[in-house]
Amino acid sequence: MNPAQQQKMSLPGIQHVIAVASGKGGVGKSTVAANLALALHAAGKKVGLMDADIYGPSVPIMFGLGQVNPQTTPFPLHKHGIALMSMGFMVDPNQAVIWRGPKVAQAVQAFLGQVPWGELDFLVIDLPPGTGDAQLTLSQSAPLTGAIIVTTPQDVSLIDARKGVKMFQEVKVPVIGVIENMSYFTGDDGKRYEIFRSGGGAKLAAEIGVPFLGDLPIDPRVAECGDTGEPIVRKYPDSPVAKSYLKLAATVIAEAGKPTSAPLPEVQL
Amino acid sequence: MADEAKPLALKRAGDGLTIDWSDGAKTHVAWRVLRKNCPCATCIEERAKPPDPFRVLTPQEAAAGPPEPVSMKPVGHYAYQIAWNDGHATGIYPVELLRKLATP
Repeated sequence: MNPAQQQKMSLPGIQHVIAVASGKGGVGKSTVAANLALALHAAGKKVGLMDADIYGPSVPIMFGLGQVNPQTTPFPLHKHGIALMSMGFMVDPNQAVIWRGPKVAQAVQAFLGQVPWGELDFLVIDLPPGTGDAQLTLSQSAPLTGAIIVTTPQDVSLIDARKGVKMFQEVKVPVIGVIENMSYFTGDDGKRYEIFRSGGGAKLAAEIGVPFLGDLPIDPRVAECGDTGEPIVRKYPDSPVAKSYLKLAATVIAEAGKPTSAPLPEVQL
Repeated sequence: MADEAKPLALKRAGDGLTIDWSDGAKTHVAWRVLRKNCPCATCIEERAKPPDPFRVLTPQEAAAGPPEPVSMKPVGHYAYQIAWNDGHATGIYPVELLRKLATP
């Protein structure tokens, strides 16, 4: 399909589409997206997770999956109760996807529209960093319920997060709230160390007038769990980080239940 | 952002588009005005150039006559994409623009 002729697609089986975004890379979007998906699942919802990061897919590693043969394997894949789709399932992890923008937009649209997601309460989309093709395609053609902005506390991350927010405002996608990731570290001495400073997420949320959804501590187990294919919400459901995610899932469910902005009416020509 | 007016109903009326807005306003904008203010990158660039008095209409433009939409589809939560009878279809009109270009 020519991206210039893209149409807003309707996803009849999917109740809510939640995008997890940030301006900057490396703030933990994929970790947040994966754990949020599992936390929503733990709350009894039917959940899908779509990895829209075509160049650097992370979902396969986080769910302990690898490349599959697309000729013989039906998508989406299922693991830990979540329906999954990622570019990483189709490309050798040692290969780079070297594509221009329109091709990315096309792939993202195919993931969304051509993968038989089935009946889902929530489809969480892990967006790539920035405000480029994948983000634009999704915000223009997917019926997004809302977006969650992930940031780390320091200014260098906030400045990019602000741009992400700006993009969603521009295309009228409601911002559900801001999450501050890697907010602090609790040492063995029980003391709270604010490694990357603190309060940035709350400041950004206040500035743009959206809820601050909470701060997530640095826990080495988060990285370990991500790398071994079992996100922390599933592996250590009693850890403080997992509890924060469950709280986040509850907020997302509450937020999604609100009457959101209705889709634009059709034109009678 | 939340308190901006939203279109409730859009329909063709005469030579243009009539929109009923959530704040009670009713606006009308001619197709000619919409076509002339197409917000796509090509048209914006075209408008920025000094007018070319010797511009030749493409056969499609000449055959099309006055601008008429072939289709007008919602894009996301924020805009409408209009495909015109002259074959141009890349303009995505944000709802604010539809409001701004209209006469009440």
